[in-house]
Amino acid sequence: MKFPRPKRILLYIILILFAFAFILPFWTCITTSLKTKHDVIYTVPVEPPASPTLEPWTEALDIMGKPLLNSLIFTLFATIFSCFIGSINGYVLSKIRFKGSDMIFLFFSIGIFIPYQTVLIPLLLTMSRLGLYNRIEGLILAHTAYGIPICTLLFRNFYREIPDSLIMAAKTDGAGTWTIYRRILLPLSSAPFVVAGVLQFTSIWNDFLFGLVLARGSEALPASVALANLKGTTTAFWNVQMAGALWYALPVTIVFLILGKYLIRGYMAGAVKG
Amino acid sequence: MLPSVLLVGYFVYVSIGWNVVVSLSNWEGLEPRYTIVGFRRYAELFYDPVFWISLKNNLLLILLFVPSSILLGLFLAILLDMKVKREGVFRTIYLLPFALSFVITASLWAWMYDPSVGVINVLLEKLGLGFLKAGWVTDSGIAMYCVILALTWQFSGYTMLIFLAGIRSIPESQVMAAEVDGAYGFSLYRRIIIPQLKFSTLAAFVVLIVFALKGFDFIYVLTGGGPGYSTFVLPLEMFRETFSMTHFAYGAAIATILFLIVMVIVVPYLYMSSKRREE
Repeated sequence: MKFPRPKRILLYIILILFAFAFILPFWTCITTSLKTKHDVIYTVPVEPPASPTLEPWTEALDIMGKPLLNSLIFTLFATIFSCFIGSINGYVLSKIRFKGSDMIFLFFSIGIFIPYQTVLIPLLLTMSRLGLYNRIEGLILAHTAYGIPICTLLFRNFYREIPDSLIMAAKTDGAGTWTIYRRILLPLSSAPFVVAGVLQFTSIWNDFLFGLVLARGSEALPASVALANLKGTTTAFWNVQMAGALWYALPVTIVFLILGKYLIRGYMAGAVKG
Repeated sequence: MLPSVLLVGYFVYVSIGWNVVVSLSNWEGLEPRYTIVGFRRYAELFYDPVFWISLKNNLLLILLFVPSSILLGLFLAILLDMKVKREGVFRTIYLLPFALSFVITASLWAWMYDPSVGVINVLLEKLGLGFLKAGWVTDSGIAMYCVILALTWQFSGYTMLIFLAGIRSIPESQVMAAEVDGAYGFSLYRRIIIPQLKFSTLAAFVVLIVFALKGFDFIYVLTGGGPGYSTFVLPLEMFRETFSMTHFAYGAAIATILFLIVMVIVVPYLYMSSKRREE
């Protein structure tokens, strides 16, 4: 439907105004991160700095460097583990039909929605008993376990679209369950692996609660908790905080800009944040 | 698959049960104690003003944040559906906040709302609107509304996405038939398109209500529940009681109540969407 001209112009004006409103916090974050402490106080926040400085960025990196590395390590491992496990689960639940497979699917689905507060105390006790409290391995285990439900859902829904006749044909050729998975499904799985991988990467990287409870103030400190700690300290002023936020935002922003299409598919599949 | 069933079984189901057991005990302090005292912790909740403030704020999120995100998302989706040039650019901009960690968005909004040198107050001053300056998140009267505004900013891109997908899944022929009947512009949306977005709306409602109940990170980083208890919500109250005050049994009781509320919403939804997929 084509609108008359003036209405189209109004449409774009509204869209652009909203775009400004959505961008404003990011814009002032960037300008502030390039200012000295003096400039932060005495210039307008949305104004670009007259003489930009990278000092807040290096200062923030001094504090956030190790936590960023920690986050990268546990995020990558937990992403890979949960995707592979989800893929196998999805295969079993969609292609090897057995009594109770729908029940098991529901069993996983509920895991997507539970409020993590409900498992926080047992999780902490489990991790300290396993000797994984304040350890990167503990964060990998927790994020893998709680990532399995959503990955299972994504892969199961994808594999359901693959015709059963393909599996049947392979079976009559004498291929076993595991061979069918490796030879037929896995080569077809690059799309769901990207979707689940991108979704898991961003949500594990963005996590705060598990890091706060399982690795507060220690060697395994995640970037999210380190950034939250920056806030409220008097030593790190706004420019350093904003630079820290940008360092922490960088990986997800890159993933979002390059692979946003896949991330959107992950969101649409019933992903839930928080 | 069996190992992963065990893993999820342990970390989800056993842990939920374990949490219930803790909530029925009298565990305080760092050493676990499992003397079962029944529902005494739940009874105490009734007389805890912070619990009621938190519950009230969760309700406020459901009543204000959820509908405002849904309406703004629907509005943006309808606008973007009007064959907009550079639609992808707009979509990316609107969705970016949702992709980022709550710790980042909370830091950004802390800077926006900072009463002395922050963005909003300084801009108001420069625009000659100094009389509108406020304490924002440091004013207990409006802090919760500041939280709601910022969360709407973060979630509207997501609801936009859900509605856009819903609009695009309506068959072209139906839209064209309606146009032949003389429906166009907003009447087309009101009569043909919006009624067909029932399931999109339901999905958005469930996701947002669940978030309004269990969301923790954003408020914890932006206000820490303050000033006073003005922005406390149940997850924050659970965290404070458990990990700051080591009232483990009490925290577990709050967590159990939170779990029950969320399940009352999620289970019927999962049931409905599985029914719908089978059709």
